[in-house]
Amino acid sequence: MSRRTWVRLDNASNIFLAARTESDTKVFRLSAEMDAEVDPGVLQEALDAVFELYPLYRAVLRRGVFWYYLQDSDLRPVVEPERRPSCAPIYQDGRRTLLFRVIHHRRRISLEVFHALSDGTGAMWFLTDLLVEYARRRYPADAAGAAGAPGTTDGAETPRAPAAAAAGDSPSSHALETDSFAHYFRRRRPTAFEEAFAEAAAPAALTLAEKTVRAAGSTGGIPTSASPAPSDAVPAGPARRTRIHRVRGTRTPDDRTRAVELTMPTAQLLALSKAAGASPTMYLTALFMDAVRESSGGLGRARTLSASVPVNLRQFFPSTSARNFFATIRVEHTFSPDGSDGRDGSVGPDGPDSPEAVARALEAEFRPQASAAALAPKVARFIRVERSPLLRIVPRPLKDLILGWLNAASNRHLSLAVSNLGRLRLPEPAASHVGRVLFQVSAARPQFCAISHGEQMTVTFTSPFTQTGHVRAFARSLSARGIDVSVTAARVTEAELAEVAP
Amino acid sequence: MRRCTECAVRIEGNWSRCPLCGSHLVGHPSPDPLPSVPLRFSRRRLLRILTVISLVLVAISFVVQLWLGHRPAEFGAVRSVWLGVCTMWLVALMALRGRRDLARSTLTLLVLAALVCTYWDYLTGWHRWSLTFAVPIMCGCAIIALVILEHVMRLEVGEHALYSALTVLLGIVPILFLLLGWVTTPVPSAICVVLALLSLALLQLERAAEVRDELAKKLHV
Repeated sequence: MSRRTWVRLDNASNIFLAARTESDTKVFRLSAEMDAEVDPGVLQEALDAVFELYPLYRAVLRRGVFWYYLQDSDLRPVVEPERRPSCAPIYQDGRRTLLFRVIHHRRRISLEVFHALSDGTGAMWFLTDLLVEYARRRYPADAAGAAGAPGTTDGAETPRAPAAAAAGDSPSSHALETDSFAHYFRRRRPTAFEEAFAEAAAPAALTLAEKTVRAAGSTGGIPTSASPAPSDAVPAGPARRTRIHRVRGTRTPDDRTRAVELTMPTAQLLALSKAAGASPTMYLTALFMDAVRESSGGLGRARTLSASVPVNLRQFFPSTSARNFFATIRVEHTFSPDGSDGRDGSVGPDGPDSPEAVARALEAEFRPQASAAALAPKVARFIRVERSPLLRIVPRPLKDLILGWLNAASNRHLSLAVSNLGRLRLPEPAASHVGRVLFQVSAARPQFCAISHGEQMTVTFTSPFTQTGHVRAFARSLSARGIDVSVTAARVTEAELAEVAP
Repeated sequence: MRRCTECAVRIEGNWSRCPLCGSHLVGHPSPDPLPSVPLRFSRRRLLRILTVISLVLVAISFVVQLWLGHRPAEFGAVRSVWLGVCTMWLVALMALRGRRDLARSTLTLLVLAALVCTYWDYLTGWHRWSLTFAVPIMCGCAIIALVILEHVMRLEVGEHALYSALTVLLGIVPILFLLLGWVTTPVPSAICVVLALLSLALLQLERAAEVRDELAKKLHV
């Protein structure tokens, strides 16, 4: 019997494992809404085809004495109808299960991924390939047309990294994986590892160093990950003298994630953010902060709201690895003292606390941090921490405790998290059969995840609490600005579920 | 699609009230894009707490036994039953916990049972029945069990080889009992050591690479 390929887990992934709880499962979901009910048989065929291209997705998580690692497996994924709440736990200690699932409900196809396996960008590639394969099988007539188009070779004409396009000669470009963190930020690369991966076709040898990097950067990446946790784990960032406002609420009855999806026309939002002079991510973040301020009744004494924003490192350091490769950036805004709330016009259209002004301020804070030059030292520092001899020889259960504790400590300095995957560009025949695309993550604090496809942008709010006050304030401030918003919410509380009980 | 006039948004699905503000909606319901998943309560946390409590009780029991004295006269029926119940519970818990990884679980149970037997022997006056009989016999049986497992079940080769190697190494330990004269009759230990050495030779011939590979994986720093 052949020996199994394995790779180290990157640093960010280690923090996800340490920070995982019943309510914050460190699972994220990407969904696509098709133009017709999903055919599970066809979806299974498509999944089988795509699964072949992504050796990384065959991985199971194993525990070593000092670190976790990913190991190749013979498991096969099976498409399931959606029966669990979104972002239900995937990895359970000691069990050898695949680290992702593909589910469907009515017109939606959802891909749920455990964050230790991949980040949002990596998952987007997988979903793109899956949708293309599905559409090609479901609508063979369209597929024939698309294949005839100039510039396409055979089946998998995805614009970017998706495996079929990137693989070229080797079909396994997303193989157990290249650790991009290690590739860019480590001086000494682990040989055994690399050889193993080279065999596996390449992608993501995750090194510890990488892990550290990810941990450091996880919040900032544009596309990636949902969880801000990693970024916090490392003692970086701004001075922590200001009192950070932390959102409190009632936990959901069975610890499921409270998710509310807002759908809006992309063009309308882009126009607003452009008028405000900020990027869409920072504009939405500013609206989010304003919504929290409003729904909390004026913030009280802790008047600083901070948000972690993951940044996709691939835009600065090209990589086709589907494994975690992001960093997080933290931005904050301090609202004027209580007494002036809304009375002195500070939150009015021209006041310093108006969403437009806050967006500009956040943009000014975010922009300089989101560059290769600014991120590289940060990431390198995390890798150094991860590769420090002392940390390396600490047994894994103790590491989990330490990392979990560091993470909790850093969480105290975060009010919110936001993640924007940007625009998903689907090739034909998928593009014309996919409507909106959605993105959400399990949350330890109120969070939103945005993604757009075609004309529609979706902003999905997730939270461990049942309260939706901040979403209401957010939706109302969008509609007050003339944006056409539609709301989809999953039922979470007993009362909500009783309405539809048979 | 329904509409909330308070929030000025459309609401998908068949909500009768706005999920954001609770006010009544107008318009006709649309199919809900999300399923309504009934509440589900996991007993996992409760089980975990109960397990930890029982383990603490078992640990306390073992310590208290030491404090109650370790001469044969002091060790009556009550203490035998008490210790027996604790041991049974401990073994049952460990076996249940390790049911997904039989090779590893065999090794864990072996170590646990050997330690408990030795301790029990000490508590009842140190007649050396543990080192003479219990430990070598259990080691031998564990080695045989692993051989059977390998042939009967589809196991992950690398991992099985690693735990087999560790079990076999433990099987050699009774040679110490013989050398130091800790046994009352040498036969069980001798059989166990011979069995272990044979298995070790076999492992070395057939599985050395797997064991090394598995160790590299488990111990990478």
